Amino acid sequence: MKKRHEQKLVVLSLILFLLLNVPFILIFNISGQVFGIPTFYFSLFSIWLLSVIISFIVLRRHYE
Amino acid sequence: MNNYTLISIIICYLGVLFFIAFLAEKNSKSKWVNNSIVYSLSLAVYCSAWTYYGSVGIAANSGVSFLPIYLGPVIAAPIWIVVLRKIMRISKQHKISSLADFVSLRYGNNRFLGALITVVCVFGIVPYISLQLKAISETFEIMTDETSYVSKYIFDDSTFYIAVLLALFAAFFGTQSTDASDKHRGIVVTVAFESILKLVFFLIIGVYVTFFIFNGTSDIYNKMSMTPNFENLTKIDGLEAGFDWFFMMMISFIAVFLLPRQFQVSVLENNREKHLKQAIWMFPLYLLLFNVFVIFIAWAGKLTFGNEVNGEYFTLLLPLQHNNIFLALLVFLGGFSAVISMVVVSTLALSTMVSNNLIIPYGFLDKFIKGQPDKNSIYIKNIRRISIFCIIITAYIFYINFSIELSLYSIGLISFVIISQLAPSFFIGLFWNRGSSKAAIIGIIAGSFITFYTLVLPFTIEAFTGITDFTNHGLFNISVLKPYALFGIDFLSPPAHAFFWSMSLNVACYLVFSLSSKGNYRERNYAEMFVDSRNFSSLQDSALVWKGEAYVSDIKNVLNKFLGEERAQRALSLFFVKYKIPPNTQMADARLINFSEKLLTGSIGSASAKILIASAVKEEQISLVEVLKILEESKETIANNKLLLEKSEELSILALKLKKANEELIDKDKQKDEFLDTVAHELKTPITGIRASTELLIDEDDMPSEIKTEFLNNMLNDSDRLTRLINNILDFEKLAKGKHDLNIRQNSIKTTINYAIASVQQLAINKGVSIINDNLIDFRFSYDEDRIVQVLTNLLSNALKFTESGKGKITIEYKMINNMFEVYVIDNGKGISDEDFEHIFNKFYQSKNQNTIKPQGSGLGLAICKQIIEQHNGKIWAKKGNKNGATFVFKLPFN
Repeated sequence: MKKRHEQKLVVLSLILFLLLNVPFILIFNISGQVFGIPTFYFSLFSIWLLSVIISFIVLRRHYE
Repeated sequence: MNNYTLISIIICYLGVLFFIAFLAEKNSKSKWVNNSIVYSLSLAVYCSAWTYYGSVGIAANSGVSFLPIYLGPVIAAPIWIVVLRKIMRISKQHKISSLADFVSLRYGNNRFLGALITVVCVFGIVPYISLQLKAISETFEIMTDETSYVSKYIFDDSTFYIAVLLALFAAFFGTQSTDASDKHRGIVVTVAFESILKLVFFLIIGVYVTFFIFNGTSDIYNKMSMTPNFENLTKIDGLEAGFDWFFMMMISFIAVFLLPRQFQVSVLENNREKHLKQAIWMFPLYLLLFNVFVIFIAWAGKLTFGNEVNGEYFTLLLPLQHNNIFLALLVFLGGFSAVISMVVVSTLALSTMVSNNLIIPYGFLDKFIKGQPDKNSIYIKNIRRISIFCIIITAYIFYINFSIELSLYSIGLISFVIISQLAPSFFIGLFWNRGSSKAAIIGIIAGSFITFYTLVLPFTIEAFTGITDFTNHGLFNISVLKPYALFGIDFLSPPAHAFFWSMSLNVACYLVFSLSSKGNYRERNYAEMFVDSRNFSSLQDSALVWKGEAYVSDIKNVLNKFLGEERAQRALSLFFVKYKIPPNTQMADARLINFSEKLLTGSIGSASAKILIASAVKEEQISLVEVLKILEESKETIANNKLLLEKSEELSILALKLKKANEELIDKDKQKDEFLDTVAHELKTPITGIRASTELLIDEDDMPSEIKTEFLNNMLNDSDRLTRLINNILDFEKLAKGKHDLNIRQNSIKTTINYAIASVQQLAINKGVSIINDNLIDFRFSYDEDRIVQVLTNLLSNALKFTESGKGKITIEYKMINNMFEVYVIDNGKGISDEDFEHIFNKFYQSKNQNTIKPQGSGLGLAICKQIIEQHNGKIWAKKGNKNGATFVFKLPFN
């Protein structure tokens, strides 16, 4: 894997670190629900899933 | 459920696990055992009983705070591609067999550091193991409904027997080889298998609770939102709780690298780096799936039972409440799987550390030096086996005396905080070459002390005595020393608070002491190797700088003690061959020292290896400056060698190209000679004819006029032939230089073909060859008719030339494909030999098969055809696959 593509994953990790911490996390800290899932949980799970998808795509394309 | 039924189910299940481990160990090379999915699933050893039961308890009672334990690993996973890969490479290169080995090697094989790390790990992990035993015991009680029954003796307690069975399992599959850096495929595969079971069973119960007991997620949400304090369960409670959240995430981030069981499966048991490709996304996905139903199970439990029962066991209690024993059994087995994998891998990792970094270097080395190789190997294995049993039994005792009152979550977090103390020396040491062993030791001790004071001590006092004075008023009633609110920082939860203080002090000590004192040269040498691992891996054994006096025979003696004579001899001969050293060399060099240390590391740990080798050699002190200079030089040499190698490769490629070009030129030259011969011959034949006829006409005055006319006619024919030939050559020259302009018009292909056939019809009839053209549809498109006729005539006369007279058959077909018009000329002649296919359209080329007979034609026909077709932007080729003759095809753009 080229260094540039490795760095994509490092950046993903950095973004996750920022997004899942205070103060960013407080953006999602609201009441309410989506499909019976509280908004806070729903947003976290979505970010989580998104990060899985992104790393899957990066690795599939660039890991050699 | 009956007590004995459950025990027999457990025994059967353990039997299955033994069987799987046995199979995997037997087929340890198979692709079913060594693949990225098994690797990714084995990482899920992270999800212990704490995940399985504890998360639900937290979600039910205090809300979102169970999540950061999984978010840390989610953040960590993408950077595995850099960090974990580096760790893997170093570990492989140095045959590392435990976390303590890894860290102590980074700080120059420091024996004390290795032992310290081992002690920290034991203190962190043993309570954690006891927590797993507690989960087994409590779920067992729930399943058998024996809440009233309290076991009076150890031997009366089923948990004890389960613990012993687990120890047996770990001892059997964990100590197959003396070299602890060997892979334990059996254990890894069972862990992967259990990871599937626990996830699937947890998802099943999640779906059952959410959609069968209740009416889906919204139903649970709506009912739950009626309860008081609901808001607190779905949100972070303000900024202060946000800090807590942040520290928890940091703890779990560190834990996913440094928990001994994680280090074991992710680094030591990894046999291919490329498994990371799947693991980096699969592991977070696994964790996500595990967490989706947690809140719903927790809330469903809360709605069903209120606050009467322990929220941690809602997963079991819910199906039991609805009399679904089978589902409850599945849940129990899932939790049991989580426990087994955690306990087995943790004890395996701990026992290696305890034996290689604590017991052997601090006591057994002398014994080994005197002992026999076979006995030594048995000793080493026995030390590990005894360690495994001791660890599990200690955990059991801890559980009996201690953790009965405590929740899964709190003990788990204490473990995580203790293990986190290794983080600064581990992570910073990996990327900063000045970190020194002294600083690492001071940092770890300081951090551990703080953890003990702020977390372990108050916790223990409360659990044992129930007195909260210490917690509430601090040491000697000094309020700044309150363990949960050191210096007035009182808004953090105890684990986060302990983590914050211990980690701050730990990092500060590490940095300050690293900078204030210079490390010793050996330490720095290893530091360079770790930090700059990419460069140093190419140096291999010469990466260690060593000066002194050593005899090969002395080193061999040491190796003999641990590897046995045969293996030691084999390893040494491999070494001599690799570095091209004569096998009768007397004096050992740095490479051999390094090589032997690595050989021993797997069996007895890096610290002991260093001590042993040092006892056999006489090492000279060298200065740090010298070490760095030598390293720099050897790095440069390697780089230069690499450059030279690249250059010489380039040159050889160039030489190859030149050679090929030269061969082509020679070939062309030969073809040209042959062509000139042919042309000269062809020119000579008509001229000889003309000359002979002219001579006769001059000599014979009284020739009858009919014969004279015949001679004159012959002369005329020969001159025509001559003209044709010369025209051909001129034509070709023109076409080749692209001087010839095409006369492109709309034409009918049918008419064109008929022209071409008409011009060779007479020849064909003479030879008895039939030309078949039964195409019905006509196409009109733009091309130069004269030129295409020329091509067709050429192909037809070629075909005529090579078909047998009387039997010959030539077919012309055409069709439209993809806006290109394709014309086929198929004959049943002798065909084209394989070697001719490539060259048939080259000018001057005459088939080698024609050597036997007189060359026919000028060798220009097909070359001219090619030129014409290419000028039309078309293509011409001979089609392969016609066994009964030749097929020529050309295609023209249809417009």
